[in-house]
This record gives sequence, structure tokens and C-alpha cells, in this order.
Amino acid sequence: MEVLAEPVKKELVRILSPENISFEEEDILCYSYDATGRRALPECVLFPHTAEEVSLILKMANAEGIPVVPRGAGTGFTGGSLPLRGGIVMSTERMTTMEMDQENMTAMCGAGVVTWDLSQRAESLGLFYPPDPTSLKVSTIGGNIAECAGGPRGLKYGVTKDYVLALEVVLPTGEILKTAPGKTLKGVVGYNLTGLLTGSEGTLGVVTRAYLRLLPIPEEKRLLVATFDTLERAGQGVIEIVRGGVIPSALELIDGVCLKAVDEYAKVGLSGVGAAIIVEVDGTGGLTERDIERARQVCQKMGALNIEVAEEEKRMKELWGLRRAISPALKRVGSLKLNEDVVVPRTNIVELIRGLEDIGRGRDVTIASFGHAGDGNIHVNIMVDRDDPEEVERGEAAVKDLFELTLELGGTISGEHGVGVTKSDYIGMELHKDTLELMMRIKRAFDPNNILNPGKIFKEEMERV
Amino acid sequence: MKELKDYREDIERCVRCGTCRSVCPTLDTVRRESHCARGRLTLIEAYLNGEELGERYLKYIKECTLCGACYSSCPNEIDTPEIILSARAEYVKRKGLPALTTFTLKSLLEPAPLTKFALKVATKLKNLFFKNAPFESGLLSRFSLPLVGDGRLVPAPADPFFLDRAHIRALSTREDYGSLKVGFFVGCGINYLLPSIGESTIRVLEKAGIDVAVPQGQVCCGIPALSMGDVETAKRVMTRNIEVFERYGFDRIVTSCATCGHTLKDVFKLVLQDEPGMKERVEEFAGKIRDVTEFLVDEVGYRAEKREKSAGVVTYHDPCHLRRFQGISEQPRRLLEESPYEFRGMKNPCRCCGLGGGVSFTNYELSIKIAERKAENIKKSGADVVATACPGCIVQLKDALHHHDVRAKVVHVVELL
Repeated sequence: MEVLAEPVKKELVRILSPENISFEEEDILCYSYDATGRRALPECVLFPHTAEEVSLILKMANAEGIPVVPRGAGTGFTGGSLPLRGGIVMSTERMTTMEMDQENMTAMCGAGVVTWDLSQRAESLGLFYPPDPTSLKVSTIGGNIAECAGGPRGLKYGVTKDYVLALEVVLPTGEILKTAPGKTLKGVVGYNLTGLLTGSEGTLGVVTRAYLRLLPIPEEKRLLVATFDTLERAGQGVIEIVRGGVIPSALELIDGVCLKAVDEYAKVGLSGVGAAIIVEVDGTGGLTERDIERARQVCQKMGALNIEVAEEEKRMKELWGLRRAISPALKRVGSLKLNEDVVVPRTNIVELIRGLEDIGRGRDVTIASFGHAGDGNIHVNIMVDRDDPEEVERGEAAVKDLFELTLELGGTISGEHGVGVTKSDYIGMELHKDTLELMMRIKRAFDPNNILNPGKIFKEEMERV
Repeated sequence: MKELKDYREDIERCVRCGTCRSVCPTLDTVRRESHCARGRLTLIEAYLNGEELGERYLKYIKECTLCGACYSSCPNEIDTPEIILSARAEYVKRKGLPALTTFTLKSLLEPAPLTKFALKVATKLKNLFFKNAPFESGLLSRFSLPLVGDGRLVPAPADPFFLDRAHIRALSTREDYGSLKVGFFVGCGINYLLPSIGESTIRVLEKAGIDVAVPQGQVCCGIPALSMGDVETAKRVMTRNIEVFERYGFDRIVTSCATCGHTLKDVFKLVLQDEPGMKERVEEFAGKIRDVTEFLVDEVGYRAEKREKSAGVVTYHDPCHLRRFQGISEQPRRLLEESPYEFRGMKNPCRCCGLGGGVSFTNYELSIKIAERKAENIKKSGADVVATACPGCIVQLKDALHHHDVRAKVVHVVELL
């Protein structure tokens, strides 16, 4: 790890005011982690407020060859915001401007706006920002865009990229650009840079502002929870609900291991069964009544043990609270969580579930699964003891098995967490070498000196080609 | 009391999910990772691992209001406030407390006759240091004062102090009790700054037919000392309080301070249970503690005579130490129904006011900035009166409303009964 030279420090202090810059050990420690539990120490932390400040910092870093890692709230699961090679962590958390355009149904957000704050603000105007990653109360719009975050609403409403109209972005070489007008729903002039940057994991540019599309808020919402004796039966239920003509606003699957772990915390009385599904429908004009009834009938036909239609807002919140707490609560099951987010075509989820059982048995590891099964996205958590190297090794072998199975079933190895550092070893399993080579050429075109979030997505040897 | 290293396993349960970021009032205000449980736990872990951390480490762990919002939202149920108290104590043990803090703590918490005299002189001289606030009952410091800060609105010191008043002194030797023998724990906020809460508490309890005694010789609950990391002083004042109240053989000990209530119920046990011969005594003492709103609603079934709701609109602020640490939120609202005010809730009533955890003294600017959001929500509620159940919150909210030019009165729930 290199140490920042004195002139570099001086220049940084010239660009930013003292409260927006720190070289102190205590701050460096606080920006050395994300939700993967991995650690890497930066040499300084910066809190720019504007694209102009970001531009000055990047120009200098580019000239000096200093790595810069953009960071939102540090809730990523693949290490996207870890400063693997030291250098600068550029926190966007103080870029919090927000402007709403109620009539055009668009919003302009600074990269550091917390997704929840946007959705609350939209709601107060009768509008709706659908992407709802599980971390939405913490994570930022900038981070959501970098990872193209998804969430339970993916099935009906799509993911972050479906709501990004334009980005203000600073290139690693310092240019500030806006990728599209921002308030138009269409626009085909030139390449779709907005689409390229969304999900680029902070490797192509630093997003400083996002122009987002909003929808009118659905008037009604209904929610149902059904429990099943096996995960497979619950998975079949998911397929049948959509086959029956209902497109729920969320269709979540939770296995028995997760239910047990989370119920110790949330205490909503859902443990002791093989699996549960949560079905949420939204809409207007009484349609939700019909949809929830259809979903209920399907669950009944599929042999659900218990079906509860949540009538009160409070109960709905309680159940979503439980769903959101699953991932962190799994710490109770194993000290190390190999957290994957594979996606298969919806009709293949039962096969995926069967395969998971085989993998767990074959590798002798506990597998906890939950996720947005309605869109085929399952969070597969391989739980191992971090102090048992042999078990960790079996866990890693199970991850590889899982990816092979997923690809055989026509899926992808990451639906919403990204590649980052945790999946970069496996990227070649899914992408053809020509595709990878094109991606590397794009990276070099944006970032010729490889200063922006180096070591992410691509393996080190690829970077050097 | 557990040592910091005994919390290692709890600290290691943190998976860095960051949920605490969404609820921490300090993070929301400074937007810096060091100001949330995840960051603070990381620093404490590094400290335990022997990393050389200095003043900034102390600053970050001291700038926590100990509101407990992180604990109640943590999926792995890590009691960060307790860990932070322990980390502060550990740091003080190693480095000592600044002389001014030590002096102030010792003189306020264990008032010797000389200190009392000094405080009284200070009361008489207050006009030298303070001026009257323009529209709120209280004083404004004329210049930056140690532990007060510049431009802060503070209540005028009680004159005389609550415990020194003749009719309160008389209540220390009560012989006749009804079916329940009830004692009143006063606490510093009421004794030195807001005696009207004490007066109202006695009035309301008596109106409800409860005979209450107010023991002389009771002292501070000990939380200010513990918040500053001074475990020894905390132990002494806590033990002293137990001794004073034990002599009476009360069935219930009522307090009108949310912070004192939480301290007496929970923190006493944390600090004293491993002291020789204290485990059972502290358990028994803690079991008798009731917040006044809890006591009035759950055990007395307080009812006012029929009242017209004509006095205006009241909203309610949940003290962290009442709602999160004692699970009391319905009772004060229930009591407000008995008041002559119409109730209107505010947004996010359980967000911390910013005073707690010593932040008000260690970083006044941060403390009052945390209260900004609270002041906004009070303003939006349109209430004429903010009721709460903690003298600390009252002092802070008065100051915050004054700062942000919101003209609502701040009172304790019992003052409206």
C-alpha cells in the first residue's frame, strides 16, 4: 500500500474544507469495510459535495495514479466499496440534494440520498419510486445505481436501471458529463451511457446526481403469508401464482432455516415450518382484492399449512421487517456467510431448489435460502464456521456447484449484488472471453490509468492485458 | 461491572449490515460512518485489539447519545449503548478524566455543604452570567461558559432546590401511608432545575390518594458519572441511594425522570450486581421502581374529573429512556387523555432529542443540531404544548425550540393533570 505523498495531501486539503477530509486512523478504520465483512484500509476519506469537487479530486488522482473508491452507505454484499488497493475512499453520503418534479413525475437526487428518503418524499407527493433493495433504509441512490440494485418489487416493477433517466457522472479523467436530458422518458441520441453506467460498480465513473423516473402510487396494497412443509412445495406455489395470472408487487420465498433464525429476533410466529412465501399485490380499483383471493386459492391448492391475509398496515410492516432482517440475522446460523444471489428463469426455481438440497448434502454444509423468487432471484447463503478452514473450503466448493447449476438452468450468477471482489473469480463461468475482452476495452476507454475502483469485477490478470 | 473485553463476543456479532445507520440520530446529523453503531463498534474492536487510538476515538464514542435506537433495530441485537458505556469507562480508567469534569461530577453528584453553598451563591449571581430569554421561561448564557456553551437556553436554577423546600422536607418523615408505601426519587433535573415537575408529581399522586414520602439524603442517580466513564463515582452514588431508600421499606419507588427510571431499573444492576453483597439488594430495589406515568396508569388507574378539551393542542415526545429502555409509550399518552388538551401526534415521536449520553456537554453544537429535526416535527404538529416525561428532554427541547423559533411550551405530562 502506498502512502499519500505530502503534496497530494496538500492538494486535497486545498480542494475540500477540513471537515470534509480525513487522514485520521479512526476515520480510515470506519471506511475499511462493507456488509461483506471483508476489510481493506484506505489512506484517506473524502466527503465531496459537488461534481466539481469530485472532478478536481479525480484529475489529481488520475495524474498521480492514486486509487479512488466511491462509496455510498457501505451496505454492498460483493465488496464494491472496499478500497482493496488503499488510496482514497470517496464517500458520497453528503451529496443529499433532492428535487422533485411532481408534474413530470421525475426526481433529481444527489448520489448520497438514502433510497428510503426518496421513496418517502415521493410518497408525500402521491408518487412512487419502486426499486426497493432490502437495504433501502440505509443504502444510497448512488450505491443503488452503481450496483443496479433490485429488490422484492423486481417481478412487477423491474430494478434500478428501469428508473434511471439520466446521470451526472464524473469520469476518472475528470470530465463532468450528463448522459441524457433527465426529464424525458425517451431519448436515443447516441449510445445508452446511462444504461452502461448503471450497474458498472463504480468502475467507470463517479455518479454525482441521478435523474429518476417515478410512477403514481398504487392506491391499494394487500399482503398474504402462506407456510408450507417443504421449500419445494413453496417454490411450486410461486410458479403457480404467476401462472394463475397474478403479477404480485412482491413474491418472496423464505426457507425454514431463515425463518428460524429471523424469528428469534422478529418474533412474528413463523418458525417451525419448511418454508413460507409472502405475496404482496398492489393496484387500484379493487383489483388487489381479486388478486389476493386468487393467490390465496393457489396456495390452498398447493397444500399450504397456513395462510394469513394481513389486514392491518402494522402487520404488513411487521412481516416486511422480518423479511429485511433475514440476511443479517443469519449470523445466528453460521459465523461465515457465503452470500450469493443467483437468478434462474422463474419456471426453473423448483429445479434450483432441488439442486440446492443435493449441493448441501454433497458438500455437507448448511444452506439457507430466501429471496425474490417471483423473478427467479434466490439468495442462497452457504453457512460455514469461519474458524474451520476445511468447512470453509467445502463451502467454497458448494458456491462453485451452485454457479454451475444456475448456468445450466439458464440463469445468471448475480441478480442484484454485482460481481465486486467476491465473484470476480467466477465471472468467466458466465461470460465468454470475447465479451470480457470488450468489457475490458470499455473500462480502459473510460479509465486509462485504472484508478477508479481497481480490482473490482475483473480479475487482476485481466486488468493487465 | 463487566469489563470492555467481556463484550468482545457481542461486538463480533456485528455483520456490518449498516441497519443502525438508518436510525442513528448522530449519523443523520453529521453523515460520517464513525457516528453509528457499526463504526463505533469497529473502533472499539480495534481498541481492544491494541490499536493506538487517540482523542478522536474518545470523541466518537463520546458523541453517542446512548438513545438505544441502534439496539432496538439491530437484527443481531447488539446492545451498543452498554458497550459504549463500558468503552468510555475503560478509556477513563486508562487515561483519567479531565479535571473540570471530575470536579463538576463530584460536586454535583455528591453535594457537600460547601458545594451547596457555592451553587446557591451561583443562583444569586446568575444575572451576571445569564440574561432572561425573550419568550421562553429560562436563561440565556451571556457568553460561553464551561459545560453550558454559548447561547444555550437553560432553566433558571430552582430557588430553593426541590429537596430543600420545607413542605418537601416534611414529607421525608411521613408515618401514615395508605395501602401502598410509596417513595419519590427526585433526580437532579427536578431538584436543581425543574422543581415544578416534582411539585406536580406530589400533587397528582396525592390527588389519586397515594401517600408519598420524599427521603432526604437521596442523591443523583449516577448516570452522568457513568456516561462520562467515571464508574467509581457512579458506584458510590448508586449505593448511597439504595441505602437511603432501603431504610423506608417502600412498596414502590416512583420517579418522574425517564433517565433516572431507566438507571434505577437497569443500570444499577449492571453496575452493582457483582459488588459483594449487592446482588439481591439491587434486584429488590430495582423491582420497586416505577415511572410516574406507568404507576398512575397501570397501578392507580388515574382518572381526572371530566374535563373540556379547551386548553389547546398537546403533542408528545417519547424519551428514549422511557420508550426504548422501559417499554413505556402508551401510558403517558393515556394520561394526556385526562388533560384538558386535545392530543395530536408528531412525526417520529421517539427520535432522540440529542441531549443524552453526555453529548450535550461534550459537543453542544452536535446536540442542538440533532434536536433540529425534532423542533421541525413539533412545529409541523401545530401543537401549543409539547409534553414529555423526562426533565432532560424538557431542558433540551426548550433550548431547541428557542433556537428554531418554535413557540410551543414544553412540560412534563404530570404538569398537565
